[in-house]
Amino acid sequence: MKPFDYMVPHSLGEATSALHEHGETARLIAGGTDVLIELRRSDAITPEALIDISRLQELKGITSSRGTIELGPLTTHAEVCASTIIREQAPLLRAATITIGSPQIRNRGTVGGNIMNAATCADTVPPLIALNARVTLHSVDGNRECDLAELFVKPYRNIAHADEMLTVIRFSPLPVNGRSAFVKLGRRNAVAISRLSVAAIIVRDDGGIITDARLVPGAIFPTWKRVTEAERMLVGNMPSAELFRAAGNKVSEVMISYTGRRWSTEYKEPVLSVIVRRALEICCAATGEGGLQDSYKGAKR
Amino acid sequence: MPERSHNGSGIGCSAINGMTTMKHKIIGKPERRVDAWGKVTGRAKFAEDYGVAHQLWGKVLRAEHPHAKILKVNTTRAKQLPGVEAVLTAKDIPGSQMFGIVVKNQAILATDRCRYLGDGVALVAAQSREIADEALAMIEVEYEPLPVVSDPEYAMKPGAPLIHEEGNIFVHHKVRKGDVEEGFHRADFVLERSFRTQFVEHAYIEPEAVLAEPGEQGGVTITGSVQNLFSSRRSVAAALNLDLSRVQIVQATLGGSFGGKDEVMTSMCCRAALLCLKTGKPVKMVNTREESMLESYKRHPYMLSYKLGARNDGSIAAMEIRIVADGGAYASMSPFVTWRSAVQATGPYVCEHVKTDVYAVYTNNNYTGAMRGFGSPQVNFAIESMMDELAEKVGMNPLEIRLKNGFERGAVTATGQTLDHIVSLKEVLGKATDLIGFTEKWNRYRSASDQEKKRGIGLACSYRGVSLGAEGVDAAETMVTVQTDGSVIVSSGVTDMGQGAQTQMSQIVAEVLGISMDRIQFLNTNTSRVADSGPTVASRGTIMGGSAAKDAAERVRATLLEVAAEMTGVRSDDLDLEANYLIQRNGGRRLISFQELVAESFARGKPLRGVGWHKSPATSWDEDEGKGEAYFTFVYGANVAEVEVDTGTGSVYVLDFVSAHDVGKAINRATVEGQMYGGVAMGLGYGLLEDFAIEDGVPKQLNFDEYLLPTSVDVPPIKTIIVENEDPAGPFGAKSVGEPTNEIAAPAIVNAIFNATGKRIFEIPANLERILLGHALTRPGKRGSLQKDAEDTLLVESCKIRPSTA
Repeated sequence: MKPFDYMVPHSLGEATSALHEHGETARLIAGGTDVLIELRRSDAITPEALIDISRLQELKGITSSRGTIELGPLTTHAEVCASTIIREQAPLLRAATITIGSPQIRNRGTVGGNIMNAATCADTVPPLIALNARVTLHSVDGNRECDLAELFVKPYRNIAHADEMLTVIRFSPLPVNGRSAFVKLGRRNAVAISRLSVAAIIVRDDGGIITDARLVPGAIFPTWKRVTEAERMLVGNMPSAELFRAAGNKVSEVMISYTGRRWSTEYKEPVLSVIVRRALEICCAATGEGGLQDSYKGAKR
Repeated sequence: MPERSHNGSGIGCSAINGMTTMKHKIIGKPERRVDAWGKVTGRAKFAEDYGVAHQLWGKVLRAEHPHAKILKVNTTRAKQLPGVEAVLTAKDIPGSQMFGIVVKNQAILATDRCRYLGDGVALVAAQSREIADEALAMIEVEYEPLPVVSDPEYAMKPGAPLIHEEGNIFVHHKVRKGDVEEGFHRADFVLERSFRTQFVEHAYIEPEAVLAEPGEQGGVTITGSVQNLFSSRRSVAAALNLDLSRVQIVQATLGGSFGGKDEVMTSMCCRAALLCLKTGKPVKMVNTREESMLESYKRHPYMLSYKLGARNDGSIAAMEIRIVADGGAYASMSPFVTWRSAVQATGPYVCEHVKTDVYAVYTNNNYTGAMRGFGSPQVNFAIESMMDELAEKVGMNPLEIRLKNGFERGAVTATGQTLDHIVSLKEVLGKATDLIGFTEKWNRYRSASDQEKKRGIGLACSYRGVSLGAEGVDAAETMVTVQTDGSVIVSSGVTDMGQGAQTQMSQIVAEVLGISMDRIQFLNTNTSRVADSGPTVASRGTIMGGSAAKDAAERVRATLLEVAAEMTGVRSDDLDLEANYLIQRNGGRRLISFQELVAESFARGKPLRGVGWHKSPATSWDEDEGKGEAYFTFVYGANVAEVEVDTGTGSVYVLDFVSAHDVGKAINRATVEGQMYGGVAMGLGYGLLEDFAIEDGVPKQLNFDEYLLPTSVDVPPIKTIIVENEDPAGPFGAKSVGEPTNEIAAPAIVNAIFNATGKRIFEIPANLERILLGHALTRPGKRGSLQKDAEDTLLVESCKIRPSTA
């Protein structure tokens, strides 16, 4: 590891100024759960400066008003898990966040870091996209906003310029009749990278007919997207085992249409279909808050 | 019939484990570990914690190709870098350039050829780690790549490129009993199955580290994370042309080893000592995790073919077994590891006709050597799977088939050895299965309706030879020195690497001297202060080091009682030492305190130092005939695993587990239970998760992001059953526990998967893909997050980190 400068801005203004000055050769560090590991890799490109934004209070915290939840990007995963607002209004985000890493990782890692790192297995992203999240990128020149789904270019690449930083994550709460689930498949019960995941929201009318369906798989597309092909199959119909199976198969079909058949497709094709079906079953189950029941064994322990 | 009835169904494990013999005061008690305080307060000093003024940092330049000729090494530029004090190659080694416990073919530094990616090519000592790293990059090495042999089957073929001149097949052990052809002829049917196991990393939490310092009178002192100090010392002395007396290796508190800190540490000790003597300065070397995984040896992958002939009543008629072990680039412990496999390959089952052949072959993979279990986990996976296949074939349940064929006292093993001790196989099987309700569950799960998530229960058992057996001389020393104030210092040639050896030996000393544990201070092993006691391997710590400790303490005790008899006028056989007092047996009256007795002994000029030595009973092996009294005694164990298999995803969750082992005598119950918990966790990783994948000689993972160990939430609650049939071969009847606990968890889990799904796993780990598809999937090349600039990365298979602005 080569030597580098280490800067600790004390306000958002200082941070953006530092980025403005050093952005091309600097890297932001928040919880450090990705950056520090990257830095010690022998083939890593060492930045000239690390700008440590972890002390910026104005980028922390969760608030809810007038039908919008605002989440500061420096909020840690542990804070998300502990939040009453999230538990009540965005349970699928909690269900996803509680599966991330270990208690130590959740105490350090931030939602903003998870988003900006743009790994396709980032577990906070599918639920946030399902909740129609929008994000704000901030620089000395001002703000620009976009849908979270539009932030990503390809794995590990987003549209933020070198002098921009993520400052706001805004999303809608789960709709009134909505139920949600996050199902993740990893190789073990903790400190497991998502091999496959799916965030699902289902809204039904009083007669039980599905009026809104949102399906966002994780770790399968180069960037995230809702699988509208499968969502359309669900809307207007009564939940049924047959319908959920068909929707699951559709998501797998869409995956293959994007990625082609790869070494792992033989496994992912049937399993993605299964976890989508399970997520839909959780959303339409007779009881339960939706999200945690079946999603992930490790989360329950 | 079982030696002890096992009609204790419904007895909780605490009740079973609660049986302690009244005659002992300290033996059998869950005494606090003597190393606990230092470890929980952070005062324990691990090798990396040692540092001295003016120390240099040593680093190793490793090979660029798994197999290549080294044409030229140019160190000129590196030597000119300011802060660099030495750049060395094999040419700079004054003595033996090679080491090896059985076959001396492992290079301290590669000479004209590298044979795997972990080979060292050159060494640097510099004033800082950073300068050393920079210097490594300035060493120019010219290679001529050679064909890489990564597949052991290919390595065995005529015409395959040779890794060493003597040929690629470097071990062939055989076991012969009866006449297998006749046995198969008499069988009603024959089952043939093949199994495969994987490379496994020891994953000790502390990577390798040493500090080498020049000795004041010449020679060198090395403080390090070394498991087998005496073998490492032998190699350092040979490499540097020094007398053994001039090479002192001091064991730092070890952060785990599991058999892993042997040759890889020998090589680090030799390199650090070489740099130290060339520069005249202290040299510190510490491997990063990546360096550790790249260079260190692994558990052997095995390919096992089993042919089993049996009768319709389930009895075994004959077994023919062929095993090929991937030895990797160097012989290391392969000759011994595979020998244990050969002896134990047929499992604890009566079989009149046996033909077993075990081969070890060289490849350009990481070399493979000692790891907890030492050749048993592979064969136990195979034979215990075979037994369930046999049960299935004849319509018996897994317990019945094992009781039908299992060893009893007087049974003759595959090597022709008659088991003349308490053979508790059926006792452990009975206790383990009773505790969890095995048969009822096995029947219920088997006939459960077809659901996506299926339950299953599985059983595995084993017999295991204690200590080194016919591998070689088996003896150890422990010393007990009583101080003038009555406190006691104990040291031993047996090392503690976290398994609790020091606590066990302290308890033995405390028991014999009738003193409390707080009087005892245990010193870490130092090669210059205790006799060569062989390696601390083969679960021999307690039985060998403990026996020597008992011998040493008894010598001191005899002196003390002699003095006491003179002092008190009471006959020495009416005197005893108990609870820090000298007592009169008749009446139990306290006469004087231990401290006063010690003071009196010193006043009379009596030495209170006991040097204890224990040599194991004789064993024998005839390599040509494939027969022998392989081990002086054996231990028996049974594991039961209960799992849930998600047939939609291939996930396996271990829900419940029973670990039952006959340990002879538990010196410390808490430590025995600790061994059981750790052994099962390690075996669970072996069965379900761990896989050190190597492709064309290149390891595909070098850290724990991709080498997946079970976490605390993957390990189920483990019920332990300690069975104690005291064995005269061990101190207070104690035998072994470290390795047996690790060797049958994987087959218990795999058998449980079969009970759940009806599908047998022939290759471990039983990962998601093998469960769902019946075969593994292999990712070509590196994972997505490491393909840094691949513009066409459409899909990331698994991912970690990547600069967002890269």
